[in-house]
Amino acid sequence: METKIIELYTDADMERMGRHVRLWRRILLAVAAVALGICIALAACTDTLNAPRMELATVAVSTVAGWFVIYKWVFTLSPVRRELAHAQMLRSEERETVAGAVRLTDEQFKIRKSVPVRRVIVSHGEDESRLLVCGSRAAALEKLDQAVLYVCHGYVAAYEVTV
Amino acid sequence: MKVLKNILSQLHSFVLWLLASAVFWGWIFTLVTDTSPAKKVTIYCDVPAVQDRLLAAELEKTMPEGLRMIQVHAFNYVMLDTASFDRGDIFIVPASEDTDLLMDLIPLSEGGPTKAYDAASGKGAATGYIQYTDEDYYIYLGSGSAHLDDGAAFAVAQELLELP
Repeated sequence: METKIIELYTDADMERMGRHVRLWRRILLAVAAVALGICIALAACTDTLNAPRMELATVAVSTVAGWFVIYKWVFTLSPVRRELAHAQMLRSEERETVAGAVRLTDEQFKIRKSVPVRRVIVSHGEDESRLLVCGSRAAALEKLDQAVLYVCHGYVAAYEVTV
Repeated sequence: MKVLKNILSQLHSFVLWLLASAVFWGWIFTLVTDTSPAKKVTIYCDVPAVQDRLLAAELEKTMPEGLRMIQVHAFNYVMLDTASFDRGDIFIVPASEDTDLLMDLIPLSEGGPTKAYDAASGKGAATGYIQYTDEDYYIYLGSGSAHLDDGAAFAVAQELLELP
């Protein structure tokens, strides 16, 4: 029998999230730069005759590009960026251990400017610890019964399994 | 469905961006399509309708050196007190025009006002762009024009008179 610590965020996960954040940051910057370039070109090509059409086209390009950037920033980039920051915190800061019967509840909520989380309750004797786990990693705790959890600021960072 | 839900949750951001974009580029285009009175000649026409952009673009083809643009406006009497109207360079007004306004206008030649449109013959200046009514029209220079000394207002007025 051997105990093994399973990290909720592995090096590969960190690398994958880092790549995702870098890629989308570049894509959004490129879209914004190209849209700005098109708008400047349209403004530069404006004359007395085409001014209303050029203004309309410029506002349209700027608006659509802005909407794309806002959408992707809010729903594609930011969630991964927040999860990456959360994972970096879990991996770099001091941990404590909590041992007992692990129960993953259905209670889930989103912490403002952070990740969506689920409530985990660890019972040890008559006491219980109320912890949180990042929503995207909660499934890993579902099958645990008695376990030792590694906790950082109330968030589950890793758990021990006996192999 | 998820995309629609996401969009609705950020609707305020999208609307705000649309407004910001329209205001910002509107301001930029105001800067691009306007300039100081010293670099433009402004024509006010007291007529029912004028193809302002087409006429301005046509006149810009032969505008005097030093000018950046020509602006054409159909005017109404609400404009009479505005500063930009006071600085207008060329005015096309009907024969029945209010004499108070005419006192601020300068005829093109010392011999009296120059006709821009002759109702009897139906011939006049830029009739392809300006819709005249059934009366004579005269062309004047504005007394507040920044282009009286350099002759640009006069040159553009002459060009306007020759336009079909």
